Amino acid sequence: MSVSEFLIAPFRYDFMQRGLLTAVLLGISGGLLGCVLVLRRLSLMGDALAHSLLPGIAAAYLLFGPSLPALFTGALFAGLLTALGSALLSRLTRVKEDAAFGALFVVLFGAGVALINLARTRLNILEFLFGNVLAVSSSDIALTAATTAVTVLVFVVGYRHIVLETFDPVFYRATGGRGGLVHLGLLTLVVLNLVASLQTMGIVLSLGLFLLPAVSAYLWSDHLRSLLAISSGIAVLCAVAGILISYHAGFPSGASIVLCLGFVFFFSAVASPRHGLLSKLRGGGDKI
Amino acid sequence: MSNDLHNIIRCRDVTARYGRVTALDGVSVDIPCGSLTAVAGPNGAGKSTLLKAILGWLRLTRGEIRIGDSHPQHVLPRLAYLPQRQTIDWDFPITVREVVEQGRYPSLGLGRRLRPSDHERIERALEELALVPLAARQIRMLSGGQQQRVFLARALAQGADIFLLDEPFNGLDRFATEELTHILLGWKAQGRTVVAAIHDIELARRHFEMGVLLATHLVAAGPVADALSEANLETAFLGSHCAHGGDISLVRTARFPS
Repeated sequence: MSVSEFLIAPFRYDFMQRGLLTAVLLGISGGLLGCVLVLRRLSLMGDALAHSLLPGIAAAYLLFGPSLPALFTGALFAGLLTALGSALLSRLTRVKEDAAFGALFVVLFGAGVALINLARTRLNILEFLFGNVLAVSSSDIALTAATTAVTVLVFVVGYRHIVLETFDPVFYRATGGRGGLVHLGLLTLVVLNLVASLQTMGIVLSLGLFLLPAVSAYLWSDHLRSLLAISSGIAVLCAVAGILISYHAGFPSGASIVLCLGFVFFFSAVASPRHGLLSKLRGGGDKI
Repeated sequence: MSNDLHNIIRCRDVTARYGRVTALDGVSVDIPCGSLTAVAGPNGAGKSTLLKAILGWLRLTRGEIRIGDSHPQHVLPRLAYLPQRQTIDWDFPITVREVVEQGRYPSLGLGRRLRPSDHERIERALEELALVPLAARQIRMLSGGQQQRVFLARALAQGADIFLLDEPFNGLDRFATEELTHILLGWKAQGRTVVAAIHDIELARRHFEMGVLLATHLVAAGPVADALSEANLETAFLGSHCAHGGDISLVRTARFPS
C-alpha cells in the first residue's frame, strides 16, 4: 500500500470526510478545554463527568429514540446534575467535592449501564462506550461545529477571566470577578464538548481527547498561549491519525485516537527538554 | 472628625461570624493614611478576617468599615490584596510580565486589549521592583524574594494606594525579608498605606511602625512598641478570649492509655 493510498484514499468516502471534519473540530476545542482542566487540577473530575453522562443519554434514547437534540439534552442534564449535585453535597455535608464527584458518577454510570440493558434494543453499547467515527451524521457535524465555535469564542472573549480565575482565584474575586460563574461556565463547556465528542470518542474515552493533548503540551511549554496552541495542534493531528488507523485496522475510533495521543504523551514525558524524565535524569531540570 | 481625614481606613465595631464562630468581635480601629501597619495576634485571632472585611468580601454582622470617604465596594480598584505564597501554583505556565499585566485586567472590558497607558504602568511597576531583567521568566524560575516582588508589582500596576498583604514574610529567607522590608518602607515614604497580617511578633516589632493586636476583639492599637507590649501580648495570647473559647480546656481533648 502506498503512502497516498494510506493517507488520502480513505477520504474519498463521504463518511470519512465527515469523520475527519468532526475530529479536527473536536481537537481544536478539546485541546483548549483540556489545558484549563489540567491547570485547574480537574482532570479526574472531567473523567468522572464524562462517565456520568451515560444515564442521561440512555434515558433520552429510551424515551425519544436516536434523536440528536434529545440525546444532547439528556447528556447535558446528567452532566449538570453531577456537577451541581457534587458542589451542593460538598457545601451542605461533610463530604469533600472530589469524594462527592466520585460517589455520584459511579452511581450514575451504573444507572446508565442498567438503562441500556433495559432497552435491549439494537443500541450498540460498544459504540456508546468507545465511539464510532464512521457513523458520524451531518447533524453530528452541525453540533460539533457549533460546540467548537462556542468554545473558541468563550476562550477569545473571556481569556483573561479564565486565566485569572485559574491562576489566582482570590485575586480574581478581590478585583470584582465572579469566580463561581467562571467555574460553572467552564463545566458547562466541558459537558457540551463531551456530548459533541460522544459519537467519535465514546463516553469512556472522550476525556482522552481533552486531557492527553493538554498534559503533553504542559510538558513542552511555559507560556499559556503556546500551551493552548500546542495542545490543540496535538489533538487535531492525533485525531486525524487515529481516524486513519481506525479505518485501516478496524479499531473503535475513540481507542485509536487515544492510543495516538497516549504515544505523544509518553514521548513528551520522557523526551521533553525541560520537564521530561530524561532532563531530570541528566540533572538539567528546573525543579530540584 | 478632623482626625478622620488622616485615617484612610476606619473600622467601627466590626463584627464578623463564620457560622457560629465569631471571628471578629466589635473591633474599632483606625489605620492612618501612609502608615505601615502590622495586624498581629494568635492563630484564629481574625487577622485575615480583618483584611477580608476591609476588602469588602465579608458580610459584617455588625459595624462598618469606611475607606477613604466611601464604602469598600466603591473603591475596590484602589485596594490591592497580596495572597499568601502557598496559594499560588508556581508551575503555572505564565511569565513575570503576564502576572504583572493581571493588575490591569480589572480595568479592562471583556475581551479588550491592554492600552498604551496600561503598558506604561506595567513597565513602571516592573522597573520599580527591579523585575525588568526577569520579565520573560516563568514564575517557578525565581527565588522566593523575587516571587514575592512579582506580586507586589502586580499590586502596583493595579494603581492601588492601599496594600493588604496576607503573611508576606512567610517562607522568605533573611535576605529576602530585609529586601521586602526595604520595599515596604519605600512605599510608606511615597505615601502608600500598607496593612499586613503578620503572625511573627518579632518581625512586626522590628519592621513596622503601627501595630494592631487582635484576639477576635481588639487588644491594642497604636505605635508598634506600645501595641505589641509584653502586657498586651500576654492578654492576646493567654487571655480567656482566645478564638478556641475559654481557658486551657485542651486537657480534656485527649486520653492516653496508662
